[in-house]
Amino acid sequence: MASDGSVPGEPVLSFRELLVAEIPNLRAFAVSLSGSMQNADDLVQDTLLKAWGHADSFAEGTSMRAWLFTILRNTYYSLYRKRGREIQDPDGHYAGRMSVAPAQEGAVNLADFRNALSSLPEEQREVLVLVGASGLSYEEAAEICGVAVGTVKSRVNRARNRLAELLGMTDVSDIGPDKNAVAVVLGGGSS
Amino acid sequence: MTHPNEMPVKVEPEDLAHAVEATLDPKIQEALGRSLKAHYDDLVKAPVPDRFLVLLAELEAKEQNHGK
Repeated sequence: MASDGSVPGEPVLSFRELLVAEIPNLRAFAVSLSGSMQNADDLVQDTLLKAWGHADSFAEGTSMRAWLFTILRNTYYSLYRKRGREIQDPDGHYAGRMSVAPAQEGAVNLADFRNALSSLPEEQREVLVLVGASGLSYEEAAEICGVAVGTVKSRVNRARNRLAELLGMTDVSDIGPDKNAVAVVLGGGSS
Repeated sequence: MTHPNEMPVKVEPEDLAHAVEATLDPKIQEALGRSLKAHYDDLVKAPVPDRFLVLLAELEAKEQNHGK
């Protein structure tokens, strides 16, 4: 679980190696924020440059990922937000570019999910990705976004509800083979 | 007979702003969680462009040269 690289018994990594190790996660977060591969890679490059220039401000023993995500997010909101999401860039849109994972039973199509995710308000999308996929805690997400933990929780909750609505997942029978569960729920209702 | 509109999962947006406890069906939450991980992991698995490795190698080399 340690994302700070300080696993006892493992060789100490250089600052450069620690940054390299986080590049895949930086890209995933950047794409999730900006909605475009091209913007995401520019954003990651800016983040790496800033991180290198401000290496002194990284506190040893804390999460390198959380620190880098904070830099990336601040860079996005100060420099990229306008040019990113307001310009329609179909070729650069990650939903059209990335591979599509094989469908698991009861799973949502990845392209459909990405369309729904990209239509969420940014403040909801970022916390959902931070706590639901990037491996960071609610506390770290709160710190990255500069809000209270309770705010993160309510944004995550709203994001999930909105996604379920966009994806038509209002009925348990839509997402799995276990249709009997619905009958149980409905049978318990009173009128 | 139960009318579909009476399903207990129906929640109005204004309620959600206050009700952190207004949670989805656990199965829907799990399905969303899996999709979110699939989205993210697919991106994490993408090959890292050389430009980043080159950039960091150059920054490190520059720093080491200054140190001498």
